[in-house]
Amino acid sequence: MPTAKESTEPAIKTQIRQFIQENLAEVKGISSFRDDESLMENGVIDSLGIFRVVSFLEENFGVRVGDEEINPENLSSVDTIEKLVTAKLNK
Amino acid sequence: MAYILQQLLKKSAALYPGKTAVWARGRSITYRELEEKSNRLAHLLQQHGVRKGDRVGLYFPKAVESIISMFGVLKAGGVYVPLDPQAPADRVGYILGNCGVRVLITNDEKRRGLSSETLAALELSVLTAGDTKSSNGGKVVPWSILAEFPADHEPKVTLTETDLAYILYTSGSTGRPKGVMLSHQNALTFVEWCAETFKITSDDHLSNHAPLHFDLSVFDVYNTIEAGATMFLVTEDLALFPTTLANFIESKGITVWYSVPSALILLLLHANIKRERFPSLRTVLFAGEVFPMKYLRRLAESLPGVDLYNLYGPTETNVCTYYKVEPARLESLDKLPIGIACENTEVFAVNDQDQIVTQPDESGELYVRGPAVTYGYWADAEKTAKMVVSNRFQKHFQENMYRTGDLVTLAEDGNYYFLGRRDSMIKSRGYRIELGEIESALLSHPGVKEAAAIAVPDDIVGNRIKAVVSAHDSTALKPAELQQFCAARIPKYMIPEIIEFLEDLPKTSTGKIDRVRLLETVPA
Repeated sequence: MPTAKESTEPAIKTQIRQFIQENLAEVKGISSFRDDESLMENGVIDSLGIFRVVSFLEENFGVRVGDEEINPENLSSVDTIEKLVTAKLNK
Repeated sequence: MAYILQQLLKKSAALYPGKTAVWARGRSITYRELEEKSNRLAHLLQQHGVRKGDRVGLYFPKAVESIISMFGVLKAGGVYVPLDPQAPADRVGYILGNCGVRVLITNDEKRRGLSSETLAALELSVLTAGDTKSSNGGKVVPWSILAEFPADHEPKVTLTETDLAYILYTSGSTGRPKGVMLSHQNALTFVEWCAETFKITSDDHLSNHAPLHFDLSVFDVYNTIEAGATMFLVTEDLALFPTTLANFIESKGITVWYSVPSALILLLLHANIKRERFPSLRTVLFAGEVFPMKYLRRLAESLPGVDLYNLYGPTETNVCTYYKVEPARLESLDKLPIGIACENTEVFAVNDQDQIVTQPDESGELYVRGPAVTYGYWADAEKTAKMVVSNRFQKHFQENMYRTGDLVTLAEDGNYYFLGRRDSMIKSRGYRIELGEIESALLSHPGVKEAAAIAVPDDIVGNRIKAVVSAHDSTALKPAELQQFCAARIPKYMIPEIIEFLEDLPKTSTGKIDRVRLLETVPA
């Protein structure tokens, strides 16, 4: 039996990925990116894109992301964003 | 008195050899190292055939090596061409071809992204990082090879202030970027005015927020070196995160900051901007777009005692007017002035009757004359002749003036105020964008019949871009496909965020796309 945590993990990552793909990557003509790839270096996320990601996380997962948490450690890739959300949901 | 840019470095290296000149990504170099490494690079370049006036491309993310490279190229007598490391390979290839770059300073990763046609034109690549094994594109040497070249003197080249120093490419309305040629004199006219006006000293810590292919960086780089100050490069990882950026300003003790307004607005909205956090900060300069008054008031309140300056000017003149924000007037001002002309520069507005505007509140196109004005655009005599024109207001000697294309008024308070553009150039995040360049990219897609790019005003970034397209077969074309198509041709900041489809675009009686009706049909 998978635990609740294990079963929600892929769903969270999929949702984050899908949001970034459809709203930030495609409009910049970027068709693919890896989950561990820096979204800043490949240009998927720009200065306004970061705040769209944050709003999405807050609305979609009901978490609160403080200004201090908007940093490269938390928001650089799909993997790190998922980690941030999971940590918040498990609190 | 310096008449070529590298003399600024020579002087400061003699005065402050052990002082940190440049910091980037946790690494720094002293003035002595900067002087010596750029001497070595200049010898390397000269040995590989770089002669006076030859263009050398700089194509890698901001680093300490960027500044070494600029001075190295100048000392070899060359002209550097900074390229946007995030631009599509197609655009970079066009620029390299347009100004005939045969020598490129880059890294392995960036170089591998270039087309074989672009690589075939290269004779030498100096790699700041990565593997130098390469099968095509001329000779490839690693950065470490610099050790083999003399450090204690620069190669002998005869230069005057009228020689070119760098070429900055900006958006072109015909679909291709155009290269603004800037001489040592153009740059120094601005640098000397800044040194005098902002009183930069060797104690100052300057930031460099703007990309190096953007003319705002000319102040950061050369005014740091002129004063023997220290410059801290803001790399992408720092620039994107307001709180990280605020920590950087605080921890590096930045005293003078220069950026586009949107960077400051994001700091205001998402970072804890308080005077107490930045006790060293004394001057904030901004340029590139209009600073919305509501945010400027907040900035002034958050940073009491910090001098705020609005600098104005196209790349073709660097900065030509400035306005020192008067906190007492902020409440009553509903629009920020672009101010008065810088020293050694004259500006005036010319009305539709081709007369210089002298009456308050009359409007006209802003013209600029003086040693800051560009010679024109690289290999584009036609465009140059349109914008850099002979001064018809005096007939005693030959001189050029630059038509900015910006409409301004001269107000009662003695300041110029920006009204708008004569053409379809817009600003977004401080970047100059010709809507025609976007339309041209869209139109090169085989499925597109007609295309119009529209600027949608935005409080933070100035403008967002939307496009309206009519397709040959509207069912077959998706916005994402067109955006991906654009990404291979134009920089990311130019790609339309929204693309809407119409059967036909509205036309004027002369058959041109009717932008007024278009805006009514597709509201922003």
